[in-house]
Amino acid sequence: MFKMLNPRRFYHAVGRRKFLEFIILAVFILFFYGPLLNMLMLAFANEYNVPHVLPDEWGFDWWAYVFGQDSLVSSMIQSFIVAIATTVISMIFCIPAAYSIARFKYRGRKIFMLSFLLTNAFPKLGIYTSIAVLFYRYGLMGTYPGVIIIHMINSMMFMVWLPSNAFRNVHRQQEEAARDVGAGPVRTFFKVTLPMAMPGIAVATLYTFLGSMEEAQGTMLVGLARIQTMPVAMYGIVLDSTAVQIGAVFAILLIIPSAVMIFLMRKFIGPEAIAGGFKMK
Amino acid sequence: MSKKMKTNLVAYSMVLPAFLVVMLTVAYPIVTAIIQSFQDGETGSFTLANYTYFFTDKAQRNNLLYTLYIVVVTVVIAIVVAYLLALYLRFVKSRISKTIGMLYLLPRFVPSMCAVYAMITIIRDSGLVNRIGQLFGVDINLGMMYHASGIITMNLWFNIPFAAMMIAAGLGGIPDSIIEAASDVGAGKLRIFWSMILPLSLKDVVVAATFVFMSNVSSFTTPYLMGGNAPKMLGIALYDQFNRYMDYNRSAALSVIMFLICSVSAAVYIYTNLKENDWEK
Repeated sequence: MFKMLNPRRFYHAVGRRKFLEFIILAVFILFFYGPLLNMLMLAFANEYNVPHVLPDEWGFDWWAYVFGQDSLVSSMIQSFIVAIATTVISMIFCIPAAYSIARFKYRGRKIFMLSFLLTNAFPKLGIYTSIAVLFYRYGLMGTYPGVIIIHMINSMMFMVWLPSNAFRNVHRQQEEAARDVGAGPVRTFFKVTLPMAMPGIAVATLYTFLGSMEEAQGTMLVGLARIQTMPVAMYGIVLDSTAVQIGAVFAILLIIPSAVMIFLMRKFIGPEAIAGGFKMK
Repeated sequence: MSKKMKTNLVAYSMVLPAFLVVMLTVAYPIVTAIIQSFQDGETGSFTLANYTYFFTDKAQRNNLLYTLYIVVVTVVIAIVVAYLLALYLRFVKSRISKTIGMLYLLPRFVPSMCAVYAMITIIRDSGLVNRIGQLFGVDINLGMMYHASGIITMNLWFNIPFAAMMIAAGLGGIPDSIIEAASDVGAGKLRIFWSMILPLSLKDVVVAATFVFMSNVSSFTTPYLMGGNAPKMLGIALYDQFNRYMDYNRSAALSVIMFLICSVSAAVYIYTNLKENDWEK
């Protein structure tokens, strides 16, 4: 077994092509997963002293510390409230718009579509700062509705473009076939169109939810100190924490929702479904 | 009411709520920001001083050049590496390529702050790389923290998987049959790549490059946590103008400047997308 660890032997054992592939895999994992795995390790390190590579003592001390802080626990609850509300509200606004853009031909369709690109082209902070002026006027600063509106701005493009792309890929003939055997338009939509467009919608929902879970800049600005989501709390931790482990534990907590969502929706996530959100048609 | 009008009414009523939200929460703030950027902070009279400040002040000009440097390097490296990765995923069918094909979807969904934090645990002076070096008796100081190379590394971490995904989706649309046909009539691998695969996937490359470019011009999290004090990326400079100097007119002007930089790539993007639509007719 240990003979295989000698690169030259390994090269001759598997052949040139396989060898190169293993190198690609190794570089890929080291660069993209190395940092995450290192952080995972740090989260369970009670003691971690320079210059040791592995922790001196393993354990859950820092987890206990994080959960012992009231402000951190309440920031998790606030994060979930905001993320769920953002996802539901932007679905209500965006899915019909996506369907309309995909299915109907009318004047101004392109302009509607392009208007959502604005959210990505203008610096977010520029939008936040002038929206803050509006929010002050209408008393939305430091409230849930204010923060939810900010989070919606971030995700609207995906929430319209992705499902719209998905709806367009459902063939009209399939809908017509359902209508021919007597299904009404509403029933056709829910029984035929929606299930077929589900991958695109699922990815869009995922984007919205996770985008909301990680939004910090706008929440800091609009939430004042009253609404403190996890990422906002994390900024404070990263910038002035004495122990690297607190940040690691918090980062893992922040990743868990993503990991769970990706696992649940793994069937739908693929390059094609995601790429659809960045193309205008 | 004619049938045509009725469907149009349905179509508009579905798209308008989302459109109005964008107008109110994005377009309106942008317009107020543009107006504000031409106003003098104290008198409110028309002035160009807010703009000239960013081009004449030495520190601000450095920030601008520094940002462009980081963004261009990021776009070029990310697109080249992503293209190679996408080609590998598309044309090599093995267990390893399948594994990478699954693993590369995840970085897109990791909250950016967590990823940055994880990378910091690797590259900081007492980070993993240094500790491993010390095992072998070498004192490695990467010097990437608070330096452009750290920000670029992080940008690549975020953008290579994203760009590879976009390009892979495009390459997936090229049927095997036409490639086989070309090689049957004697085209070599390089020839097939230059005259078929590259032109067919160019549009996806443009889409990927646009979004990589736009997201990096106004990036905030990475330079906020990893960047040095001078020069700064524009996202941070904007945050300073707003938060530290409370100069709303200058911060509005800087937003507009960043928007104009983004619009260059957005224009290329819209141009390639519309051109393709003409061809489809």
